[in-house]
Amino acid sequence: MAASIREKQTAALKRMLNFNAPPLKNTAAEPVWKVLIYDRFGQDIISPLLSVKELRDMGITLHLLLHSDRDPIPDVPAIYFVMPTEENIDRICQDLRNQLYESYYLNFISAISRSKLEDIASAALAANAVNLVTKVFDQYLNFITLEDDMFVLCNQNKEQISYHAINKPDIMDTEMEGIMDTIVDGLFCYFVTLGAVPIIRCPRGNAAEMVAVKLDKKLRENLRDARNSLFTGDTMGAGQFSFQRPLFVLADRNLDLATPLHHTWTYQALIHDVLDLYLNRVSLEESPGSEASPAGARPKKKSKKSYDLTAADKFWQKHKGSPFPEVAESVQEELDTYRAQEDEVKRLKSIMGLEGEDDGAISMLSDNTAKLTSAVSSLPELLEKKRLIDLHTNVATAVLDHIKSRKLDVYFEYEEKLMSKSTMDKSLLDIISDPDAGTPEDKMRLFLIYYITSQQPPSEGDLEQYKKALIDAGCDLSPLNYIKQWKAFTKMAAAPANYGNSGVKPMGLFSRVMNTGSQFVMEGVKNLVLKQHNLPVTRILDNLMDMKSNPETDDYRYFDPKMLRGSESSIPRNKNPFQEAIVFVVGGGNYIEYQNLVDYAKAKQGKRVMYGCSELFSATQFMKQLSQLGQK
Amino acid sequence: MNARRRHGPKSSQEGVYTGPSQTQSQLVQPLDTPQAIPVPHAPLVDTSNMSCRDRTSEFESVCKSLQGRQNGAQDIKPVHNAVRQRSDFTLMAKRIGRDLSNTFAKLEKLTILAKRKSLFDDKAVEIDELTYIVKQDINSLNKQIAQLQELVRSRNGQNNRHLQTHSNTIVVSLQSKLASMSSDFKSVLEVRTENLKQQKSRQEQFSQSPTNYLPADNSNKADISIDMDLRSSQQMQLLNEKESYIQDRANTMQNIESTIVELGSIFQQLAHMVKEQEETVQRIDANVEDTQLNVDLAHTEILKYFQSVSNNRWLLIKIFLILIIFFFIFVVFLA
Repeated sequence: MAASIREKQTAALKRMLNFNAPPLKNTAAEPVWKVLIYDRFGQDIISPLLSVKELRDMGITLHLLLHSDRDPIPDVPAIYFVMPTEENIDRICQDLRNQLYESYYLNFISAISRSKLEDIASAALAANAVNLVTKVFDQYLNFITLEDDMFVLCNQNKEQISYHAINKPDIMDTEMEGIMDTIVDGLFCYFVTLGAVPIIRCPRGNAAEMVAVKLDKKLRENLRDARNSLFTGDTMGAGQFSFQRPLFVLADRNLDLATPLHHTWTYQALIHDVLDLYLNRVSLEESPGSEASPAGARPKKKSKKSYDLTAADKFWQKHKGSPFPEVAESVQEELDTYRAQEDEVKRLKSIMGLEGEDDGAISMLSDNTAKLTSAVSSLPELLEKKRLIDLHTNVATAVLDHIKSRKLDVYFEYEEKLMSKSTMDKSLLDIISDPDAGTPEDKMRLFLIYYITSQQPPSEGDLEQYKKALIDAGCDLSPLNYIKQWKAFTKMAAAPANYGNSGVKPMGLFSRVMNTGSQFVMEGVKNLVLKQHNLPVTRILDNLMDMKSNPETDDYRYFDPKMLRGSESSIPRNKNPFQEAIVFVVGGGNYIEYQNLVDYAKAKQGKRVMYGCSELFSATQFMKQLSQLGQK
Repeated sequence: MNARRRHGPKSSQEGVYTGPSQTQSQLVQPLDTPQAIPVPHAPLVDTSNMSCRDRTSEFESVCKSLQGRQNGAQDIKPVHNAVRQRSDFTLMAKRIGRDLSNTFAKLEKLTILAKRKSLFDDKAVEIDELTYIVKQDINSLNKQIAQLQELVRSRNGQNNRHLQTHSNTIVVSLQSKLASMSSDFKSVLEVRTENLKQQKSRQEQFSQSPTNYLPADNSNKADISIDMDLRSSQQMQLLNEKESYIQDRANTMQNIESTIVELGSIFQQLAHMVKEQEETVQRIDANVEDTQLNVDLAHTEILKYFQSVSNNRWLLIKIFLILIIFFFIFVVFLA
């Protein structure tokens, strides 16, 4: 898998936009203009990958939602990119009847069933438009790629496959089946796009096992059908040079509930936790001006600014996993370099002006034009750099405000100590009763982590004390009920998860940043240095990839869809350590785990790890789900 | 390489894909993946590399079977003809696009020619011709695109908004393509100028020795006049040739400079046009979210106002009072 999943998905989308012919590199080809129609699923898939400019380059003049009012444009072809649901099919049939476009290229995000195909066919016949429907394709793209090595299954209806939906006590079998089918469909599309058949390993006895069984069955059936398989040697693609198959590890959220609640210190995870990060887009609320609005007028709306964090943004790619003080310093450095370059250009302009008056010689002219051309051509780059620096300055400032007001660094340090079971200098009760250290939610998160990671549950008296303190602080205690149940359940199953040894060293109260008088005055915020440690998911991956023997992972089930018949054993047939792995968490994941996996892959040479989850939630959203579960 | 091509029966009865609805699907091997654009060179294209499945033939077979069933029941409606009435906008846009791609091809040829650095095999005539042709083409394309834009503007009020956006986008993309082509042309001309300069300097190196004879000959004119004459005539010939060659070169360079200046002006025009309609880098869900936000805000504002109006008892009382007063006025004074 030399090409990342993001490149593969982008290539698949571009190919689809080129009427499903592989795109030619030849710029001399005649441009063909088309219209793109998508539903909300398609929108989520396309928006992190292709910007409007790239769509224009491919000849898409208009992009519209399927269920909006669309006017007829009678002489352009239309490309549809939708999920094969009932409403979408109805709307397509309506479009066919209204004769909106010249020709229709229907692309379904996941495979369409035969009956729905017949519906479209009958509508096309009724509208006498059969020859207008030029192509029907199954695209197998039912997943959203956020980073080069991270994907999410869905965004639109994530309540259906959320942690809450999977773990609620009154779930019915049919609902569970539906959820499993959705997840397996997304994973199947992922492997088709990747072009590789993995070896699946999963723990026993939970939702992950059900997903693994179904996925294995689906892959196996597809491979068996030799004529129609999507995984023949050619689909592997020219970019795949490794002959080893990847390892697919299915994990369940119940394995590790503390990580989603953890306060974090790396840039990307902080943005997701503290601000509103949705499909690689950050929305900041800018507070209204300080002028008082006149009496009787409507209150001023807060303007929202949103920024895109893309793959082209080098600063972001470099620093999305760095601890926050490092990010602040780097932004400062970038700003300084940019100012230096700007001064260079200004100096060039002044020199140009002077020389132009004194020397009218033609020989000087060519040099000047060359210099001027280079300065002019570097201007767009400079402007782009400035825009990115502005973006990151705003975002980092917003994050810093949150950190300072909620004292997130204190929480982070304390939780790291809790999770590594080292000694703590402050007692939990102090932090909880501290009135200006964070929102009630932060305190609840801290307490839940304490509860989850403690070896024995706290005594009744202590518990009552904590509860009282929490209620005084204004927290909602329903997640606690759920966590109690969960803890009791997992105690029966296995030993509680060990979070490994980690340490957090505070590096003094005032960092170098403050001394240079920069915008990021981090006084009072400790400059914490993260030591490398492994979260439970990473540890499991490590064991499985290197075929180490470990009581946790020894009884994981083993599935190989390429084998002739499935087996119930958990003895791996493949004795070599794996070079590529894909980790998928059923029930939700977050950026902290992703960052941990990325660090792990960097530490080990030559290993590639990809991370996926059924939904991506921040700690706030997870708390909501826990409280819903706790209220049942 | 294309191991997936089969020569067996097209359709298979095995239901491989079992989705949630458990229907049996006829999955058909894409035998000949039809390509929209004919491809002359094989190595760039690998049609069997696609991770999608073509259901078009299945769709067509379904249509045929349904049509067969319905044929007895309904009378056949006139089928849409393949020849569709295309608006003149589309025709013009297509024509411009075709011209643009032709000019691109010519520009590529010119690039290859201009990059050659050999001293003696210099196809100056061809290069000049091609340069002239490409320049004319760019000018005419510029005019055509301006015409197209006029056409779009003249239809401003008549069309629906999607068609309007569609037409505008086409015009903008044509303009940007023309702009990139002009900048390529400019860089090709610059390369050519560089090469000419280099050639001139190399020629000067070679022809340094003959020019040294001339001052010597002139000083000894009285002596070996016949020999001098012969040699000097030869030198004069060489000199003339060299001069005309140099003259040619100077002309070409002047042409190139004037072309660059003209291109610069075209560039400015284009940049102005493009800037008028440039779209900022954005994502496709930006507008949708904005609209939704605005609609929501408007909705809340209206609700608030409605609430305030409906809860406002004083307003009701005032209205009633006014009504009663008017009633009294009319009844008492006009009765």
